[in-house]
Amino acid sequence: MKIQFTVNGQNVLLDVNPKRRLLDILRDELQLIGTKEGCGKGECGACTVFMDGRRVNSCLVPALQLPKSKIWTIEGVEALPIFQEIAEIFVNQGAVQCGFCFPGVVMSALAYLQEEHNYSTKDRIAHGMAGNICRCTGYTKILEVVQVLETHKKLRIGIEEIFKR
Amino acid sequence: MTDRIDIISPVNLAQLDHILEKLRKPATYVAGATDIMVQKSRWEQAGTLIDLRTVQELVSTLEIGPEGILIGAALSFTDIIRYRIIQEKFPILVESCRQIGSVQIQNRATLGGNIANASPAGDTLPVLAVLNAELWIGPRLKDNFTKMSVDEIMTGPGKNCLQPNQYIAYIYLPFPEPTDPFWYFRKVGQRYSMAISKLSLAVLGWKHNNHIREIRICAGSVSPRIKRAVLTEKLLSNQELNSKVIEKAATQLMKEIKPITDIRSTHNYRKSTAGRLLQESLSTWARAGK
Repeated sequence: MKIQFTVNGQNVLLDVNPKRRLLDILRDELQLIGTKEGCGKGECGACTVFMDGRRVNSCLVPALQLPKSKIWTIEGVEALPIFQEIAEIFVNQGAVQCGFCFPGVVMSALAYLQEEHNYSTKDRIAHGMAGNICRCTGYTKILEVVQVLETHKKLRIGIEEIFKR
Repeated sequence: MTDRIDIISPVNLAQLDHILEKLRKPATYVAGATDIMVQKSRWEQAGTLIDLRTVQELVSTLEIGPEGILIGAALSFTDIIRYRIIQEKFPILVESCRQIGSVQIQNRATLGGNIANASPAGDTLPVLAVLNAELWIGPRLKDNFTKMSVDEIMTGPGKNCLQPNQYIAYIYLPFPEPTDPFWYFRKVGQRYSMAISKLSLAVLGWKHNNHIREIRICAGSVSPRIKRAVLTEKLLSNQELNSKVIEKAATQLMKEIKPITDIRSTHNYRKSTAGRLLQESLSTWARAGK
């Protein structure tokens, strides 16, 4: 099946099995290996990417539903000027250890900022981040990162930009 | 060597119905794909896939009439959660959608999928049952959809009564009257998110002069099919809520449900917890009335 869609703003044209997972297309066809496979069942969130402005598990998106979609991966976010600041906040809060879940956690955290327009309680953040499992840090630091990210107005505006593209 | 896979992506209902009329082989419907892609063998064997997300009416239509609303079956939970009219009229549905999986899942998974998968643990099913949801099934016959209720479509765990060429087109929800009922939805799972429920309870009720005028109760994950607890409902109707009545209702509910023991929970736990949830909901309601 021939499909056309965009990844990180770039046009992609591929001939793939319609049942192929977006996750495999990103990693094997496009060599975008920042997106990780954890459980392959939509539970761990390591494969989180943005699809048409919303975060999704790329292990649960079949190629047949990709035509005309707009995908953003961690590599696309990494190329943005605001990424350095985001990464520093994660590092300074000690919210990254082995790093395997990190790309998914970053994508989810950024999506969360776009979904919630006000400052939120820890409970609400915990609910919003529940689709991302981390086996190293425990979740306290990840939740704290999101709270810190929420206070950065400039970041929020930068993030809105990604979701518009 | 992979066999040939046919992909059908109809643009509207008319095209979908037309294709189904001519289709002579079994097809698998795909909407949010969050369940089908983890059912490995079913997914791998599917030779013809029909993408319901490309059917314009099923993802965009939300017709609001004076009596109720019509929700496109392939709308995602996130779409449903964000609709203002649903937030206003059906907060119980919004609450159950919010408790499904994670936001990543809610962004893809659909109400129609939750129903068609027919899992006794489907989180929206007890809620749809207490809302008296009506499922509109395609293809249309002489311009009419086949209508059925949630407990009619589900024939057992993972089984629905749809023919191979039938699909869920819309979910019709009548507006509850009067506009301000008491509602309660609680899901009990291993953790708040991303857990398949051990059991859940949905309650919708109206009072008149301190007495229960009408009450609808449905527990999830406690029987092979989703069924309202009609005997408990009957016991409570026209009653004044006090601790004695609440106790009696909880005992009746525990008698009425037939939970099983499985990987997620036990018969006894499910039974006693269902009773306690009902107690919790009715006590809350009793207090709210004062």
